[in-house]
Amino acid sequence: MRKTTLSVAAVATMALLASCSGGTEPEPAASEPAAASSAPAASGSLVVWVDENRQPAVEAAAEDFTAETGVEVETVVKNFEDIRADFLAQVPTGEGPDITIGAHDWLGSLIVNGVVDTIDLGGRESEFEDVAIEAMTYDGQLYGLPYALESVALVRNTELAPEPAPATFDEMVAAAGETDAKLPFVINTAGADGDAYTYYAFQTSFGAPVFVQNEDGSYTTEIGMGGDEGYAYADWLAEQGQAGEGVLSTDWTYDIANQEFSDGNAPYTVAGPWAISTFTDAGVDVAVDPIPSAGGETAAPFVGVQGFYLSAQSENKLVATQFLTNYITTDEAMQALYDADPRLPAFSTTAEAVASDPIVAGFLASAQQGTPMPSIPEMGDVWDHWNAAEASIISGQAKPKAAWDKMLADLDTTLNG
Amino acid sequence: MTATTDSPVVTPDASRRGARRRRWWLEVGWKYPLAAVVVFYAAFPLAYVLSASLSPSGTLTGSTQLFREISAQNFSALGDTRFWQWAGNSLVIALSVVVGAVLMGAAAAYAFSRFRFTGRRVSLTSLLVVQMFPQMLAFIAIFLLLLTLGEVVPALGLNSKLALICVYLGGALGSNTFLMYGFFNTVPRELDEAAKIDGATHAQTYWTIILRLVTPILATVALLTFVATFGDFILARVVLTSEQNWTLAVGMYGWVSDQLNANWGLFAAGAVIAALPILALFLFLQKYIVGGLTSGSVKG
Amino acid sequence: MSTDTTPPPVRESHARTWEGTGWGFAAKLVLMAAVNALGIYVAWSAWTVDQWGVLVGSLALVVVADVVYFSRRRLAGKYIYPGLVFLLVFQVFTMAYTVYVATTNYGTGHNSTQEQAVDALLIQNERPVEDAPTYPLTIVRSGEDVGFAVVDESGQVLVGTAAEPMEAAAGATTDGDRVTGVPGYDVVDLGTLLADPALQEEVLALRVPASQDADDGSYRTREGTRATVYSSSLDWDPDAQTMTDSTTGTVYSADGETGQFVAADGSTLTVGWRVGVGLENFTTAFTNPNYAGPFWKITAWTFAFAFLTVASSFLLGLAIALLFDDKRLRGRRVMRTLFILPYAFPAFLSALLWQGMLNANPDYGIVNSLFFFGARIEWLTDPWLAKLAILGVNLWLTFPYFFLVCTGAMQSLPNELEEAARIDGASRWRHFRAIQLPLLLISTTPLLIASFAFNFNNFVIVYMLTGGGPRFTDTSAPLGHTDILITMIYQISGVQGGSADYGLASALSIIVFLVVGAVSAFAFRRTRKLEEVL
Repeated sequence: MRKTTLSVAAVATMALLASCSGGTEPEPAASEPAAASSAPAASGSLVVWVDENRQPAVEAAAEDFTAETGVEVETVVKNFEDIRADFLAQVPTGEGPDITIGAHDWLGSLIVNGVVDTIDLGGRESEFEDVAIEAMTYDGQLYGLPYALESVALVRNTELAPEPAPATFDEMVAAAGETDAKLPFVINTAGADGDAYTYYAFQTSFGAPVFVQNEDGSYTTEIGMGGDEGYAYADWLAEQGQAGEGVLSTDWTYDIANQEFSDGNAPYTVAGPWAISTFTDAGVDVAVDPIPSAGGETAAPFVGVQGFYLSAQSENKLVATQFLTNYITTDEAMQALYDADPRLPAFSTTAEAVASDPIVAGFLASAQQGTPMPSIPEMGDVWDHWNAAEASIISGQAKPKAAWDKMLADLDTTLNG
Repeated sequence: MTATTDSPVVTPDASRRGARRRRWWLEVGWKYPLAAVVVFYAAFPLAYVLSASLSPSGTLTGSTQLFREISAQNFSALGDTRFWQWAGNSLVIALSVVVGAVLMGAAAAYAFSRFRFTGRRVSLTSLLVVQMFPQMLAFIAIFLLLLTLGEVVPALGLNSKLALICVYLGGALGSNTFLMYGFFNTVPRELDEAAKIDGATHAQTYWTIILRLVTPILATVALLTFVATFGDFILARVVLTSEQNWTLAVGMYGWVSDQLNANWGLFAAGAVIAALPILALFLFLQKYIVGGLTSGSVKG
Repeated sequence: MSTDTTPPPVRESHARTWEGTGWGFAAKLVLMAAVNALGIYVAWSAWTVDQWGVLVGSLALVVVADVVYFSRRRLAGKYIYPGLVFLLVFQVFTMAYTVYVATTNYGTGHNSTQEQAVDALLIQNERPVEDAPTYPLTIVRSGEDVGFAVVDESGQVLVGTAAEPMEAAAGATTDGDRVTGVPGYDVVDLGTLLADPALQEEVLALRVPASQDADDGSYRTREGTRATVYSSSLDWDPDAQTMTDSTTGTVYSADGETGQFVAADGSTLTVGWRVGVGLENFTTAFTNPNYAGPFWKITAWTFAFAFLTVASSFLLGLAIALLFDDKRLRGRRVMRTLFILPYAFPAFLSALLWQGMLNANPDYGIVNSLFFFGARIEWLTDPWLAKLAILGVNLWLTFPYFFLVCTGAMQSLPNELEEAARIDGASRWRHFRAIQLPLLLISTTPLLIASFAFNFNNFVIVYMLTGGGPRFTDTSAPLGHTDILITMIYQISGVQGGSADYGLASALSIIVFLVVGAVSAFAFRRTRKLEEVL
């Protein structure tokens, strides 16, 4: 989902963890992945990887399941960022879990590496938000059970800016100028690294998606950022950047952007639901609106979807699918997941139940106007060049067109060899 | 260099005291302000950590204003996590590794220092070279190895603290041996020979004479090993898969590894507490590292 | 093999100090008995699980241990062996395995075995038939055969097995939309199914043809209570080792060279498997145009970075150790404890901390606001300043280590040398240059080399502080002015992106290792010369 993980982990794990079975003879798929749990001998048992936040909710769902079926569920807590690499590495060895929690943009690499099984919701797809099902679908197959959505939105300090945000970026900056805040707007730029994820809605408002989409919403591997739309966005970044209006800055990291907003130094920011508690804890009253358009078209942020994946090498697929489709896909379990870790629910009834919260409703509105982040494996390769190009334009170090052209050329080299 | 030459031979008390003072300043006194500078250099960046640990807002470097809010909230919140369990794991693992690494490193250093055997030079050089392998790529192999070992001896499989200790001990011979080797060489050989003439076996010489004389380096190696083991999270993450077995480094890394969900306040509070054992150990080992050894016999 | 320089131990000693030797010997016997028992236990349990490598390894280690410890000679071996065992098992093996990975195509798309690749491909290409309804399912049994029973839209009960396509069953009883009984079959309830892993396997693998026509697909269940009609577009022929796409008729055959299913027209299926590729990764490592340009710049900077870090932090650590090893100073213990503070915090935390402190904007970066009068200095985005920043931060991180080492090592310096020097009237500087420093260097040079090697591969500091940036503008590789070889490997092997190539990464690591190893071995030989002089 989000690019901004501090990936020492990534480094470390570098997935390198690896595969392992290859060194010796093809590992006789380890006979009992769940050996650690003490399930009754007759029934199987499931191992589920979760992160700390969501463990209680999964355990609650597991309780009913165990009571009704006698199958024990062992939840193993992992750091969320480690899960993808560990899953890729351990599933082939037989050490992996039966089910893991994960983000939809992992899908490409999970599929290419053959570690994930499909999910059959038995016709219940319509009970989920469309964007969630779409995100978890790859080549017409559903590979994960979605449960939450997340996307960034425009967050407003209601004290400084009591009126709902204007529809365009320029109007928003003008409105901010009427307040006595130090800055009109802050956004995470990840310092000099650049953060194309948070900026993406502005880019789409110029009509320059990262990859060209097919009619059905699936992504091709053709870069969509070229052409006049892309240049227009690059020019806009330069205009608003440090050498231009100075509305955007590469001095801002995630921490700094949050701090400035929490201190009441800026009426508007682009942030995700994960940052809201930082603001409210600092005593700022916030409201959430869709992101204003900078280029005239709809500003569509990336939507990330979180869900549960079923291991392709699970020895207990039937039980695991039973658990996912009949015990997780329920109002109670979905509500419990929301309560444990408040992300926007992907399950429609839960989404409706929590939409009375204006902040949730705001993010939902933003997500509904967004597009799922591509889950094709190529997505992992674009960030570096993309972020760097944006950062160099914002900081004024590079001319917008030249930097954008270089990025397109670099992406072409990276993706097409 | 010494200040005495400047002072007049016959002086009243006051000027003598003045001269002594001046001499004290020249030789010793100036080191106090210098120490203050060094401490500032060493500790200043960590003021951020302390500030973050006391601030409820949970960012690390969002502002240049330090200590805007003071609250013990993060410290008390540690109690709701597995922090103390992890701390226990870390201590157990680090202390076991320290004992093992010091024993094995010292023994090897003794052998390299005192015995001349075929392949000695080659072994020394290879030891040095082996530890230069980029650790980043060790995971694959370690994971596989433990997977296999775990099938044979479950106690040495993945997710076992014992296995992790063994993995760390695999690196014990590396740089430790060298640090100690140099030191062993400075212990005069006549001591061993004298002991031998007295009828002591090589084991007695080693355990009762040599080891006592090299206490400073044993203490240094113990500290270095402790810090390295206590702080490592890369290997620990590979080996320890379940939460209750994590070490502090692995567990706390999880609090901040996802920047957007990072809890810097909790992390900083944890880091402050986790730094205490290291500082305490250093305070305790200092008397062994610096002075306090039986310097008389070193002179031989 | 091992020979003592000194004359052989005097025999009588054993008798004379019988008590001491006796205890020692008894302890040795007990220890060796334990070691042997452990070794044999490991070997035995390795045998029971068919791990021949472990079996041979553990036996060999035990035999060598017995030889070493029960022989009167091999003194050096007695002291080195324990550490050596751990070294061999946990480090040397690691290296050997990396060499192995370097000769494979392990990476994204070639993640596991062919068997698993086939599984995954079949999974991915079997999908519900469009608009196929989902029916509540009842599992039924007839002798050995397992079958499915469903109620379709018209209320008709359909029953079938793998061999017999679904057809209407006369006389079946239902409860609402669920079948409760079929003549000739036993109904298997859900509890029985969930308690029987073998049956689950069977049920999951069961495909009941929807009709006599194979193109109609077959009923399949994923969780035991619902069935849907699926059809698969790939057919796996294990004998011919081919995958056939049943919609287009394309035949993909397994290519053992590349680890993929390849069609005649060169197109491939998504999931591949791991195969040996010989030295291909090494060839790529030397010919990849992606980094041919910046390679030399990065290599030079890597050496400069490692050397300057070691030199600066050693000098600073040494200076502090010398200055504060002064018995006249009060509060030395507390001072020293405070000096090692940077060493007591996790390195990645410190790197992130400094990244924040070095923010160019003096409103955010405390270094600029406090020490540079609020000037805007681009510490992390100017190529030279970024290098300086990395060195500075690394100095801060590393000097306590050398402070510690030097403090410890100085204790080995004989005191009388200092006294002698003082009596001779040598200045303190001279004393330091001529006596202390050379002696200190003897014991610390191996550590300097080790530290050099560590910093040569110091991924964390570079990755966390600058991420390798600012980027080179003259290459399309995602590399920058502060990248060192190990971060370069990380970037170009694609580990960070979606398409990792571990084979290539391993090959590159080996090359880097060979370079650092050679440099260090050379430096070490120089040290030995130094040592011989003294």
